Amino acid sequence: MVKRFSKTLIAAATALAISGAAQAETLKIALAGPATGPVAQYGDMQKIGVTAAIDYLNANGGINGMDVEGVIYDDACDPKQAVAVANKIINDGIMHVVGHLCSSSTEPASDIYEEEGVLMITAASTSPSITEKGYDLIFRTIGLDSLQGSLAADYISGTVKPERIAVIHDKQQYGEGLATTVRDALVDAGIEPVMFEGVTAGDKDFSALIAKLQKADVDFVYYGGYHPELGLILRQSMEKGFEAQFMGPEGIVNSDLAKIAGEAVEGVLATAPKSFDQNPENAERVAAIKEKGEDPTGPFVFPAYAAVQVMASTIEAIDSTDPIAMAEYMKANSFDTAIGTVKYNEAGDLTESTFLVYELHADGSKTAAQ
Amino acid sequence: MTEASLYFLQQIINGLTIGSTYALIAIGYTMVYGIIGMINFAHGEIYMIGSYVAFIVITGLLGMGMVALPVVLFIALVVAMVVASSYGWAIERVAYRPLRGSNRLIALISAIGMSIFLQNYVVLAQGSRDVAMPPLVSGSLVEFGSLETFQVTISWMQLLIWVVTLISMTVLTLFISRSRMGRACRACAEDIGMTNLLGIDTNRIIAMTFVIGAALAAVAGLLLGLYYGVVNPFIGFIAGLKAFTAAVLGGIGSIPGAMLGGLILGVTEALTAAYFPSEYKDVVAFSLLVLILLFRPTGILGKPEVEKV
Amino acid sequence: MRGTLYNAVFAAGITLVLTCLMLGVQLNAEGTALTVQGADAERWIWIIAGIALVFFVQLFSPQIDAFFGRMPKPNLAALKPEESKWRVIKPWAFSALIVGMLIWPFMVSRGAVDLATLTLIYIMLGLGLNIVVGLAGLLDLGYVAFYAVGAYTYALLSEYFGLSFWVCLPIAAMLAAFFGFILGFPVLRLRGDYLAIVTLGFGEIIRILLNNWTDLTGGPNGISGIEKPTLFGLEFSRRVSEGSQSFHEFFGIDYDSSQKVIFLYLIAVVLVLIVLYLINRLMRMPIGRAWEALREDEIACRSLGLNRTVIKLSAFTLGASTAGFAGCFFAARQGFISPESFIFIESAIILAIVVLGGMGSQVGVICAAIVMTILPELAREFSEYRMLMFGLLMVLMMRWRPQGLVPMKRPHLELKQQ
Repeated sequence: MVKRFSKTLIAAATALAISGAAQAETLKIALAGPATGPVAQYGDMQKIGVTAAIDYLNANGGINGMDVEGVIYDDACDPKQAVAVANKIINDGIMHVVGHLCSSSTEPASDIYEEEGVLMITAASTSPSITEKGYDLIFRTIGLDSLQGSLAADYISGTVKPERIAVIHDKQQYGEGLATTVRDALVDAGIEPVMFEGVTAGDKDFSALIAKLQKADVDFVYYGGYHPELGLILRQSMEKGFEAQFMGPEGIVNSDLAKIAGEAVEGVLATAPKSFDQNPENAERVAAIKEKGEDPTGPFVFPAYAAVQVMASTIEAIDSTDPIAMAEYMKANSFDTAIGTVKYNEAGDLTESTFLVYELHADGSKTAAQ
Repeated sequence: MTEASLYFLQQIINGLTIGSTYALIAIGYTMVYGIIGMINFAHGEIYMIGSYVAFIVITGLLGMGMVALPVVLFIALVVAMVVASSYGWAIERVAYRPLRGSNRLIALISAIGMSIFLQNYVVLAQGSRDVAMPPLVSGSLVEFGSLETFQVTISWMQLLIWVVTLISMTVLTLFISRSRMGRACRACAEDIGMTNLLGIDTNRIIAMTFVIGAALAAVAGLLLGLYYGVVNPFIGFIAGLKAFTAAVLGGIGSIPGAMLGGLILGVTEALTAAYFPSEYKDVVAFSLLVLILLFRPTGILGKPEVEKV
Repeated sequence: MRGTLYNAVFAAGITLVLTCLMLGVQLNAEGTALTVQGADAERWIWIIAGIALVFFVQLFSPQIDAFFGRMPKPNLAALKPEESKWRVIKPWAFSALIVGMLIWPFMVSRGAVDLATLTLIYIMLGLGLNIVVGLAGLLDLGYVAFYAVGAYTYALLSEYFGLSFWVCLPIAAMLAAFFGFILGFPVLRLRGDYLAIVTLGFGEIIRILLNNWTDLTGGPNGISGIEKPTLFGLEFSRRVSEGSQSFHEFFGIDYDSSQKVIFLYLIAVVLVLIVLYLINRLMRMPIGRAWEALREDEIACRSLGLNRTVIKLSAFTLGASTAGFAGCFFAARQGFISPESFIFIESAIILAIVVLGGMGSQVGVICAAIVMTILPELAREFSEYRMLMFGLLMVLMMRWRPQGLVPMKRPHLELKQQ
């Protein structure tokens, strides 16, 4: 694996002269995301999805006879490196990008892609401002935060009806954005959360926070963020005998949550799109990924898979790899992908991404909540 | 007791727990600094490696069907200490010893390079995902206060952290004050050139401080690994930073200072998180450091520096 | 011989301890349970090969040392022409270098120009920190804070007041200098490493505040859509905002996106040249001499009547303002900034540039900045081994040239022997 990618990388570097991918026999798709650094695990998910999709395409005759090749570019989720990576991708003559992962990397990189006429689909960046700039060539295969935030708030005020709510977030773009949406929606519904507070992402000790929640007599906690921190909060809550109903966004829906928190996961609520790896239509894809000894459960695996699918079916339909023509086609049509039907609006966002409320279980599974 | 005081007590307990582990890691910084005057930035990574080794040994032993938890933990502790010490020794040998005698900052940059290297080495060896372990030591020892107001709990795990920290600190203090090696160690901290002239192998003493520091960091690695149940290759950096802050707070070079600094830092963090938004806890911790240094420029227990001409 | 054999066995044993658990066994999650798994045969072969390598290197270390000892060391000093000749050549060489730097971007690819721009930012940062660490001998581990101040100054002024890059550039430098002054004033009486940790703390405080002050700085979302610099009001973009003109329209040439990249590069070149010129002048002024004197012997300086606080503070403030300069330019180049760009490791890299360059030496800092930015990019071919190599190379470079790439040489006169 490693070897093959470093080889493709060298090949890409030497193939500088090839400007348009259309003349080439292989279509190169750049995969930009963190391969090193603290968030490398999310970059891995993206890589798993993209390579699985590419392997599938190649095994079935490629796109219009062209072989597809994934080239990995590591931005370490550092905005500065993301700019360097974007420029390098353009240098290497690659016109199609899946990535970047962190919104803070996607933002500066998308400016460059738009200007240079490179098609980009991010499978993980949920920040609204990326598509707000009115770019033509920037797309996502992941829903916006606002959708699940309002769903969560509706569910809290309509179904759970807790007395004292705390909204906690991880001070990151994703988590804080969601938590703010939920809080605002709750206030609109006439419920004032008793606490709205951030924690430090990467922190391990939440005992002070839990004591604070206990003191505030909170019976419902909404957490905006990812699974590592929530897992520890749940685990330490159980140790301290703090019992409240927890709820989180799709970022917590991950088999690792149950590994970290164990029994404490039982009954935690989460808003999530239909879980792609559980979808019977994806059984074959899941099996193919598992066969390679990789994990198909990460939240970004199938959005990344779908990003490649969208590109592939567009190229097949219009028989051109020109990004501008592709973007026009993508906005006008809908696609049947691993994450369901994908349809874009003018901005490049998914028009429909259906989130459901799930109840998580200690064995890592989930069921639809009542 | 009123609700407010119970709440305060609980936060103090939480703070002391995290503070004792800071203290364990801080010893490594302070001892190395005390003798060769360099900041060993790779020390946080040693703690991380210790945590990984402990996880591997515990999981392995439990997987082989060993059930006696105290025995498992003890073996894990010993193995983690041995492996972490070897790392400490090897780092000193490879990255610092050849640079001795050149500018202090050279060794500092070498340490930063070593830290980047070790982090990525563990990513490659063990993957970058969080590795989680089910709680092994659970349940609480004391619970008081009433359910209606606020209940103070001290868990077995917290007690274990205190006891192990206390034992390690006592052993270290005895070793430093009573043993031959300990005396040589103190002599080195006083004047390394003179100690060398007196026929003590200072290279050996320096290597030994790295080994002791690493072993204590491994103890912290095991304890925090059990407490949180999670380890990933990036925990070393922030823990190292905090422990280093603790060491400076207490007066770098002073072993009791490192212990005190760790506890103060832990309690400050817990109390900040208790009464202010918890995202500001690091700001308060660093501000406290700046303030203390302004009034006591060599830390709480540090010796005032004498300017010699 | 017995000694080396013993050493070799010992070293091999340690290597075994180091690798067998961390590399030889892997933690694995199956379902929700954690298990351990031995590594595959290929990895064990690597481990054993590694141990064997360590064993033999140790066993034959005297021979290896002797071999390397016989190799002639490259003598960089010999490359430099004689003093009298150098004086004639110097202005020509410099002009040629500058002209080369100005022409070069038109001949290479966009990525290379962009990388060069990044390098120039680091050169600026390195030169600034060099004043503080290299010349004045104050260890600053939170230098990135001033960089952040500069970047956010431009981003905020541009977003809220619509000020242009050129107006913000001096403001950013002044504001960063002001922060340097505020911080420097109380902490400069601390000595050595206490100063280091306080500046480290300050760097973290600034970053956390930027991250938490969501109303003003956008918190973790950062600030996006920062204006790019203009050339006397001419914009470098395909579509121009209302009321202004674009560069390609004004000159009647075709739009090319590389124009913008090259323009940014040229600005960076000019900024670096300004910074270099100023620092070079300062070093020759009494204050510059005082910095070095203070680094060498603080007590002697004080007894000669030099004001310690003023000297330290001036170094600190000037260093900070250079970082503000660089930060402002960084914000313009990125078009987007967030607190993630200003983490501690950034300070560490800048410090590494100064130390690797040979503390105090400007040529050294420039060389080191080039090495430290190009290296990770070259290492891209190693994919996930990239950062591992980078860390290892940092250690090796320190071992190879502990005095720095180009150690500082002070102008001095030598008494000629009769």
